[in-house]
Order: sequence, then C-alpha cells, then structure tokens
Amino acid sequence: MTRPFLDIKGIRKTFGPVVAVEDVTLEVAKGEFLTFLGPSGSGKSTTLYAIAGFQPPTSGEVLLDGRSLLAVPSHKRNIGMVFQRYTLFPHLSVAENVAFPLRVRRRKDAEIDAKVARMLALVRLDGMGGRMPGQLSGGQQQRVALARALAYDPPVLLMDEPLSALDKKLREKIQLEIRRIHKETGVTILYVTHDQEEALRLSDRIAVFNRGRIEQTGTGRDLYENPATGFVAGFIGSSNFLPAEMERGEGDAAAVRLPDGTRLTGVRMHQRLGAGESCALMVRPERLRLETASTGGVPVRIDDVTYLGDSLHFLVQAPWRQQIGVRMPIASGIDAGLTSGTEARLVWPASAGHLFAGAS
Amino acid sequence: MLLTFERMGALRWILVLWGVLVAAFLLLPVLFIVALSFGSSRWLQFPPPAWTLRWYQELLADPRWLDSILTSFKVAALVTVASVLLGLLAAFGLVRGRFPGREVLRAFFLTPMILPVVVLAVALYALFLRVGLNGTLAGFVIGHLILALPFSIISITGALEGFDKAIEDAAVVCGAHPFEAKLRVTLPALKLGLFGAAVFSFLVSWDEVIVAIFMASPTLQTFPVRIWGVLRQDLSPVIAAASSLLVLLTLVLMAAAALVRRGSRR
Repeated sequence: MTRPFLDIKGIRKTFGPVVAVEDVTLEVAKGEFLTFLGPSGSGKSTTLYAIAGFQPPTSGEVLLDGRSLLAVPSHKRNIGMVFQRYTLFPHLSVAENVAFPLRVRRRKDAEIDAKVARMLALVRLDGMGGRMPGQLSGGQQQRVALARALAYDPPVLLMDEPLSALDKKLREKIQLEIRRIHKETGVTILYVTHDQEEALRLSDRIAVFNRGRIEQTGTGRDLYENPATGFVAGFIGSSNFLPAEMERGEGDAAAVRLPDGTRLTGVRMHQRLGAGESCALMVRPERLRLETASTGGVPVRIDDVTYLGDSLHFLVQAPWRQQIGVRMPIASGIDAGLTSGTEARLVWPASAGHLFAGAS
Repeated sequence: MLLTFERMGALRWILVLWGVLVAAFLLLPVLFIVALSFGSSRWLQFPPPAWTLRWYQELLADPRWLDSILTSFKVAALVTVASVLLGLLAAFGLVRGRFPGREVLRAFFLTPMILPVVVLAVALYALFLRVGLNGTLAGFVIGHLILALPFSIISITGALEGFDKAIEDAAVVCGAHPFEAKLRVTLPALKLGLFGAAVFSFLVSWDEVIVAIFMASPTLQTFPVRIWGVLRQDLSPVIAAASSLLVLLTLVLMAAAALVRRGSRR
C-alpha cells in the first residue's frame, strides 16, 4: 500500500479534565475531498485546529507526505484555511487580502498581481479587487477567504464550517462553487460540517465524528446503506429505531423478536450480539410500506399523513406505542384507504433492517 | 407605543428648554473666560468695555509662559507614547491571557481613576523625594502616566475585545509569523482604540494640575501649574488668555478625534 498523503495518527486532545478528542486516526489520499461530519462538540473542529496548529494535540501525530506537521509552527505549515467566521482583514482591499499570504512570502509584485487576478477569477469575483471587505456580502467574503487560502497553492485546504453563517439557497450555490474549485485545483480538502446534506453533496468520503472519535469513514452511500453503528444510522438520513430482542445470530444475519411478538429473520447484524440481548432495529422510512390487504408485518394505526409532492409521509403508531415514520413515493401506487385513523400493516424486506446494540 | 420626541406635544418644548439649560450650565464658565480674555479691562470687568488682543500678546511675549507650554507639551507627548504602548501590552495580557487573578488585575489597573488624585500626588511626592525625581521631566511623566494608563487600558481592551482573534489566526495560517500578524493585521484593526487611548492620555496629562503642582519646581512647571501660580499672585487677564488656549487645544484634539472616527466608519 502506498504511503497516505495526509496521515492522522491517534490524535488526542484534552482541555483540563475535558476530553475533546479521544482518539482520531485517519488516512487521506492526495486530492481527496474528505468531510468531518458530526454534532457540535464531537471533536471535528478540534481535530482540524490541531492540523492547522492553533491547538496542538495532547498526543498523536500528523504526517503530511511523510513529514511531521506538528513539529512545524503554524505559520510555516503552508496549509490553507477558511474559517467559520468572516476573517478578511478589514483594513485591506479584496485584492490585498488575497495578496497577503504572497506578500509575507516576499514574492515579486508582478507575480503577486498575476496570481491575485487568477485567484479572483477562480472564485468568480473578477473586478472586485478594489472593494473593501465591509462592502461585500457574506457569501462574497467567504469566496475571497477561499481565494486567499488557495493563493499560495497549499497542499491541504482546511475548511471549518465556512458556510454556516449563510442562508440555505446561497449555501447550496457556494457548495457547487467549492466542488468546481476542488476539481479545478486538485487540492486536498478537509471540510468540517454538522450538516449531513452538505457533507453528502460535497465529499468523496465522510468521517462521522461522535464524542471525540470517528464512528465510521466511507462514501456517503456506504454510510447511508451500511451504517456501522446506530449513531451513524441515526445521524445520516432519517431513520426509525424499533426496540427488539435478539433470538439467535448466524454470521451477520439474525433472527429477532419485536415487542408485539412479531418474529423477523435474515436481519443484517452490524455488531456482535448475544441471544436474549435487547437491541435496536433500524429501518429507513422510505424502505417501509403500508398495506391494507396484507396479513403479515406489524399491525399499526395511521396517526397522520403529510403530502410532500413526490411522496406521502405517514406517522404510524406501533402496538408498543412508538411512532414510526413511513415515506412512500406516490409513483409506487398508494392504496387510497390509507388515511388518518385507519389500521394498516407495516411491512419491509428483511434486508432493509439493520440491527444495532442497545435499544435507542 | 413608544414615547418618541415627535409625539410629546407641548412637553417637548420643556425638554428642549431643559437641554439648553444644561448645555448653558456646562458652557457658560468657559464662554465667560474666553470673553474676558479678549476684554480690555485689567480687572476682569464683565461685560468687557472694549475688545483687545493685548493679553495674548503679553502671554506670548513672556518666556516663562512659553516655557511652561513647551514643558506641558513634552510631558503630554511622552505620556501619550508610553501610555499607548503600555496600554497595548496590558490589553493583550488582560484580553488574551488566561491566568488566575486576571479580573483582579484588570480592576487594579483602573484604581488610579478612583483614587483621590491628591492622595496619589502626596504619595508620589514622598516617594520622589527619596529618589530625587521631584521637579524633573521624568517625575512629571511618571506621575501623569499613572493617571493616563487607565484610559488607555479601557480604550484598547475595548477595541481588542471587539476584534475577532480568528482574523489574526487567519493571518498566521496565511504564513505570517504571529508577531507580523499582530503588526500587520491586529494593530490596524485596533487603530480607533489606539487613537482614542492617545487622545485621552494626552488630554489627561495636558490639563492635569494636582500631581503637577507637587512635581513642579520654580524652574520646571507645566502650563496649568503656571496658571495656578500666577492666579494666586495676581488676577490678570493673561490668565484668561492662557485658559482659553488650553481650551482651544482640547477642542482641536476632540475635533480631530471625531474626524478620524467618522473617516474610518465610512
């Protein structure tokens, strides 16, 4: 196996008695777009700041192209970074902001001018070089920050929730811009966000953070279809967790019993579970179906129906008084008898169920 | 519904009158002294029987007045530089530092504003007698620096607290040494706070009289001390002229400060 471009080994960071990052190990390939996804306080930003050099880790190592980054002071790491807050230098024009990293590197004026023009064109802000940061919108400011961070061709670009201050529409537009810029420059990007949609839209791979650890790393499809833990399943996409009791397991297939006595076989098991253990059966709302004619599945009562254009969203009540979300595409032909207050049967293919430890 | 000025009816004229009265109360003594400085009466008669520039001529012809003005300038300029530099360092420590007793230290730095100046002046006088600083330029500067520093610290810590540290961090990731980042990014962003600190420090020293009276010697005294000394011997309109000059310089500084503020808000 070839040497990873960016090698994060066993990063741990504590602030007094508080453990912000427990143990993070990750290998990143050159040119990859990798996202740290997780709730706030899960350690994703702290890991990023350790790589940037603002908060040296308590232990662990970060290698870039085989050389230790931690031994190098922040300003000599030659890493690009875009921050969550607006960080343009308020007293400098847009062009001078982009030129700043080149000026501190004592580049020649002609070279700086040419590079600044290229970078402003890259973020589609040509002709705005003379403006002051205070005259720009939030989205424009973050694009200038991106141009500034890329002006010195850093091997790695760190982005710490750069779009969280923008509204949804603008965010989606700039996400497309970031993808294009990633393709054009080939820079390796580590991107932090708590927005799963943003992570899915942007990344080659996603590392899901929880309580200072990475729960799972993989493509968006991996994480959605084969979540390794209940946390990942719950964090990515919407999901229902049904309480269940383990009966027996063979390989990674299990037989379980639901609280109302319904027995299911051939359920995919993601963690080793012993017979009799209580566990959680996860099923995505779009894999569930409601039927009136069937006699199989779980008997439920429909509490609420919402029309969503391309699909109907049902909230149904299971016999064990749990509300379950069901999403059925209208194109699949929905029984007209499925209205609020009626009884129906809840069915799903065995392979759509994922079994995790602990009832959650 | 909000009680706005426009909705108050007859009440608003009472408010206007009140405002005028307060302004007059604050301004009349100053206007009075300025008028007297141009009056021809040697006995400070009011209203002045005729107008003249004679007192200004006398003031500017007397080297002792000029010396004291020069001394005041020197002291105030040195105090300004020292106060801004120390205030800047103190502000970084107070805002960015994480050490026990930080809040206590911050309160302590402001005590010269609360302590009666005359107490400070007596204490300094006693101390400087031992080390031989009374009647020296250094003595004036140290005494005034103590009084000016709280203003610097308040002004600069305020500016630094309003400055997002992430901006400085961004400069560091961009490749600037942390010191260069502070010099090229943080300081320019703090310029209003620094300017405010400089103006206040200068003014505190420029019109300070209590500490200066204790520090003064017959050969070295500041402008306000000379006004005070001359006033006690003889009531001359030259003092009115001198006081008016003091007021004029203060006004110029305040106007400059207002202009800088407006210019950078743009």
